[in-house]
Amino acid sequence: MKVKVRFFARFRELLGTDVITEPAPGTSLADLIRQIAEKKREGYDAIFDKQGKFREFVIVMRNAKRVDAGVADTILIEDGDDIAVFPPVAGG
Amino acid sequence: MTLSQRERDRYARQILFFGEEGQEKLKRSHIFIAGAGGLGSPVAIYLAVAGIGKITLVDKDVVDQSNLNRQILHFDQDIGRKKIESAREKLERINPDITINAIAATIDESNADTLIADADGIVDAMDNFPTRYLLNTISQKKGIPLFHGAIRGMYGQATTILPGSTPCFACIFPRAPPAEVFPVVGVTPGIIGSIQATEVIKYLTGSGDLLTNRLFVWDGLAAKAEEIIVEKNPCCEVCCEIKPKRTRKKVKP
Repeated sequence: MKVKVRFFARFRELLGTDVITEPAPGTSLADLIRQIAEKKREGYDAIFDKQGKFREFVIVMRNAKRVDAGVADTILIEDGDDIAVFPPVAGG
Repeated sequence: MTLSQRERDRYARQILFFGEEGQEKLKRSHIFIAGAGGLGSPVAIYLAVAGIGKITLVDKDVVDQSNLNRQILHFDQDIGRKKIESAREKLERINPDITINAIAATIDESNADTLIADADGIVDAMDNFPTRYLLNTISQKKGIPLFHGAIRGMYGQATTILPGSTPCFACIFPRAPPAEVFPVVGVTPGIIGSIQATEVIKYLTGSGDLLTNRLFVWDGLAAKAEEIIVEKNPCCEVCCEIKPKRTRKKVKP
């Protein structure tokens, strides 16, 4: 099983650009992103809070469809998924 | 509202693009720009040169030296002046044929409705999410399109929100990112502000396809633009009850 995870903006700076990975069957969307993000503490902390939940402003997309980050633990990754993780910016 | 010969000359090259009818639509339009900073500067300049008949520009701040790397409406000699005074002077010099309504105020719940009045579009050139949520609420309530832009460093995002037909700002961003003193390189609001101004001009003249239902995401570091499809949140507290008021600017007789 092969999936692509794309980080945007600051998340890209911290965790790299397109990440192609081969998760174990039964991996949840949230766990997949945790596994990648854990490789860099600062990147993990930017996306997840201390309880390991997505920070509330983080936007998670799966195959161009918005995913409610609150239920990302219950969504299982499928072969060919294209995941995007995006931090909105606020400056002007 | 017909064009003078002077206006025909001034706008000749864009009249080639959207015709005198398009130019007349711009002339009788009123655009509200929230903020005269990094985004507000290019937005205001491009809308002024395009010949938007009336531009209302609101900002509470005074020009600071640290603004000058990006806020291109303000010059070194403007340090200490109110941004809206500096902005009005420049915009009137750029295009004396339009009306600049520059107001020094903090946009808040008590005045937003009155300040925005009967504008044909609201440009979000703010630097914080709480005011953006307020602009969104007014946009939805009045049925006025909201042209969103935001930046950080070399990253930016933009989308066009048409009340009743596209997701609202709160659908797309239900929660604000943390407030911070954000890093910024001036070219980034230049790019995003130009996209916002493009959207305003397209909307008013009925040109092309708007940046609706999509979030444009610019990564200047990677030199990549991508887009994220955005959808209405059926449980959105702001817009779920809103019925379409208008999806496209009607041509005024």
